Amino acid sequence: MNIQEYISSGIIESYVLGLASPEERVEFEKMCALHPELIEARTNFELSIEKQAFQNSIPPPTGSKEKTWLAIQQSATKNTSKIISMEPGKNRLAGLRWFAAASVILFLLTAYLAYSFYNKNRELQAKVDRSDSLINRMTEGQKIMHDPNVMVVNMVGLKGSSSSVNVYWDSTSTDVYMVVKNMPKLPSDKQYQLWALIGSKPVDLGLFDVPQSNVILKMKNTQNADAFAITIEDRGHTGGPDLEQLQAMGKAKL
Amino acid sequence: MSTNTKYQEQELVSQLLQQNGQAFSYLYDNYSPALFGVINQIISDKEAAADVLQDVFVNIWKKISLYDDTKGRLFTWMLNIARNAAIDKLRSRSYQDSRKNQPLTENVNTITANSVVNPQQNDIGLKKQVSKLKEEYRVLIDLSYFQGFTHEEISKILNLPLGTVKTRIRSALTQLRTMI
Repeated sequence: MNIQEYISSGIIESYVLGLASPEERVEFEKMCALHPELIEARTNFELSIEKQAFQNSIPPPTGSKEKTWLAIQQSATKNTSKIISMEPGKNRLAGLRWFAAASVILFLLTAYLAYSFYNKNRELQAKVDRSDSLINRMTEGQKIMHDPNVMVVNMVGLKGSSSSVNVYWDSTSTDVYMVVKNMPKLPSDKQYQLWALIGSKPVDLGLFDVPQSNVILKMKNTQNADAFAITIEDRGHTGGPDLEQLQAMGKAKL
Repeated sequence: MSTNTKYQEQELVSQLLQQNGQAFSYLYDNYSPALFGVINQIISDKEAAADVLQDVFVNIWKKISLYDDTKGRLFTWMLNIARNAAIDKLRSRSYQDSRKNQPLTENVNTITANSVVNPQQNDIGLKKQVSKLKEEYRVLIDLSYFQGFTHEEISKILNLPLGTVKTRIRSALTQLRTMI
C-alpha cells in the first residue's frame, strides 16, 4: 500500500478520533515516523476537528473552574490528608473499644444487680407469704371469736399451773380451734394433748406443741363436748389420757 | 497561525508540567467551552456533563506528563480524554439509573433504535456533520464514536460481519472528513 492510499484509508480519522485499535495505533505511529506527509495530513484533520469543536463551544456553568481547581488542590493533598483522615478512623475504633468495654462492665453490673434483687425479692416474698398466712390465721381467729355460733371455753390451769387456753368450739360446723395464752414449755419428748369430755369419756382432739401465743390452732372436730381438758403425754402418744398429768380444764356451757 | 499555535501549546504544556496555576487557568479558559461542547454531544444531562468536565480537567492536570506531542496535538489528546470520560459516564450505573427516571428513556438500547435513526434537532458540531452521513454510516459513527462501542460489539448489535463494520467505519470517516 502506498502512502497516499494509506492516508485516504480512514486511518488518520480513526487514529485522531480514538477509534483505531491498539495495533492500528502502533502501526500508524511507526508510519508517521517514516512519512512526514502523514503527520501533515493528521495535523490538518486534527485542526479541522479542533475548529469544529471550538465552533460548537458551550460555556461550562459558572464556578466550574474554581470547583475544578479546588478538586485538584484536594487530590494533590490527598497523600498528607490520607494520614490525617486515618486518625478519626482510629479514634472511632478506639471509641468503639471503650464503648464495648463499658458495655461489658455495664452488663456484668446489671446481671449482678438483677441476681441480688432477685434473691432479695425472693426473701421478701417469703416474708410476705409468712405474714400473709399469719394475717389470714389471725383474721380467721377474729372471725371465729366473733361468730355467734362459736362457744368460747376458758380453760384455766390446775394444780397451780399458770396455763391459760381458750377453746373455740363451733357447735354447727363442729370445728374446734384453740388459742394458747400461756403454757409452760415441755421437754422435747413430751407434747400437750387436747381432749373433749363427752359424759366422762375422753375423745382425742389432737396433740400439739406450745405454739406462739395468740396463734390459733385448728384441732380435730367434735360433735359433742361437756368439757375440754389438756394433758401432758409422750410425743406421738396414742390411746387414752394420762389424767395424772391433767393441766387445764374448762366446762363447755351449752 | 499554525506554528504560532504550536508554540503556544508547547509553552502551555511545559508550564502545566511545572504545576503552574496560571497555566491551568489559561488552559481552562481556552479549552473548557470546546470540551464541554464535545461532552454535551455524548451526555445530554447538563449536570452530569459538568461533572465529567471537572473530572476531565483534573485528569489533564494529573496526566499532562503522559502527553506526547509527536502523537498529536494537545487538543486531540484532551478531546480523547473528554470523550472517554463522557462514554464512561454514559455507561455508568448511576447515569443509567438516573436516565431510567426520565420519561423519554435514553438507555443504550433505545439510543441505538431512536436517536441514531432519528438525528436530533439539537445535534451540534461533529454530531451534526455525522447526521448528514447516509444512514448506514451514521449508525456506525454514532455507535463507535458517540457511544464508545467496540467494532466487535457493533458487529453483534447490527448483526453485521466484523470486516464489514471495520470497512464501513473507515469509509464513513473518510466521507466525514470531506464534510468537515
